[in-house]
Amino acid sequence: MSITRRRFLGYTAGVLAAGLPGVSLEVTRRGCVLLDLNEGGCFRESVSGFESALTSAGAQWMRADALWMSPSRCAVLIVPAALEIPPPVVRVIVSCLQAGAGVIVESGAGFATDREFRAHRVVLRDYLQVHIEEPVELWPENSSQRIPYVDYTWPRPAKVRDFSRVVPLGRQAGEVIAWVDGVPVALKRPGGRGNLIFLGSLLGPALWAGDAQARRWLLDCLRTAGAERV
Amino acid sequence: MKKAIGDNMIPKEWGFEKGLELVKQAGFDGIELWLGDVPWFQMGTPDGEVRELRRRVENAGLVVSNVSTGLHWASPLSARDPKVRAQAVRIVEREIETAVLLGTDAILLVAGLVTPEVPYNEVYQRCLEALRSLGEKAARSGVRIGCENCNAEQRFLISPREFWQFLNEVNSPAVGIHLDVGNIHDTGFAEQWIEIHGPRITRIHVKDVMTKRGRCGDQSVYTNLFLGDNNWPAIRGAITKVGYDGWLVAEMEARYRYAPDQQFYDTARAMDRLISGQF
Repeated sequence: MSITRRRFLGYTAGVLAAGLPGVSLEVTRRGCVLLDLNEGGCFRESVSGFESALTSAGAQWMRADALWMSPSRCAVLIVPAALEIPPPVVRVIVSCLQAGAGVIVESGAGFATDREFRAHRVVLRDYLQVHIEEPVELWPENSSQRIPYVDYTWPRPAKVRDFSRVVPLGRQAGEVIAWVDGVPVALKRPGGRGNLIFLGSLLGPALWAGDAQARRWLLDCLRTAGAERV
Repeated sequence: MKKAIGDNMIPKEWGFEKGLELVKQAGFDGIELWLGDVPWFQMGTPDGEVRELRRRVENAGLVVSNVSTGLHWASPLSARDPKVRAQAVRIVEREIETAVLLGTDAILLVAGLVTPEVPYNEVYQRCLEALRSLGEKAARSGVRIGCENCNAEQRFLISPREFWQFLNEVNSPAVGIHLDVGNIHDTGFAEQWIEIHGPRITRIHVKDVMTKRGRCGDQSVYTNLFLGDNNWPAIRGAITKVGYDGWLVAEMEARYRYAPDQQFYDTARAMDRLISGQF
């Protein structure tokens, strides 16, 4: 996505006027890349959520195809609602991490079939060393009394609506950065020269629905993940 | 204006044929067919059998006023699970297809459900997106989608201006409101909804409501026309003011415990009084 200087300044002014944190120059220079695996998929709203949050924050971002993108030009790579993660995408994720980018992988496996989930788990385990457990239903039948929030602790505390089903983390290295009902659902870990952030609870739909706290969390995450090089 | 009543009001043991005779004898002009709510009209009913339903309706001297469904209570367009949403879309598509086969131009849809689990903003966005696309399909088929105001049960689009704004955002001439004058309860006044929505009204469901009685268990707050708290002269006035001349469709939740066919006659007579404006 190309962006004019005037448009960029306009967006930034809008962000500042709204009291939202701007995105770091590091991220805007090298750009944020949205890798859309959901063409015709079931979580278009997650992709739309990231798109709308990035656009309204004035971040320089582009949508890319795994076959054509250049990891060296990417400060932050976002993979929304990932379920089937084909080898070219795995290669891009790993290359971006090695090049020092922040990579956010949002799992779309909460509503997956058993077969889809098993394949998803294998790819995460074998190529990204992320260990996950089977999806958990947060809203059992006739339950209306639970607290419907995922609590993020990094890069800033934030409460974001849960999305009914989460993919819990297994025991592994890294910092747990979000919990729901005592279940760890998001992880940050150094990878290559960059940082891998794994989200086991969908964030995109909350961005899409206009949740201001979710949007602030994402912007802080972009700023921090893109700048924190290992 | 013409009078219709839902086929889901037909006593279960009567069957479709005998039910049609009753509807005709009671003085109705048409019948509303409820997809998924009656044994003769299900999602799996093939096109040929749907055409046969139309033939039977017309043989009874009636026409199909519109296609409705209660299936979206279990499979809403606003569901988070994409598989449920896909089913919800399929239900609307089947309503559109069967409306064409049945010779009518309107379908009813309960657009979305706000629940403790699925919050308002998500429901709003999801319904907006779904209806923009479904509106195009409906327009191509010459059918209008009427989103019903189920205020208390849906907890969605509760005020008439909000509903109006929602329809503005959908921005499709094929998507309007199937206005139920009984569903507004004590959150507003049916006549004001009619004035605000005017030409966007696809059909009007009629029943009366006891606004001062809260629903208790499965006890209904709805009742027959003129027995509840709706201001019927004002409703009739608003219908005249906006120039609505389409179908009035009776939808009674509380059924007669005895002589169930009597409810059809009583309702038809009450609707005649409503149409004539003689209170």
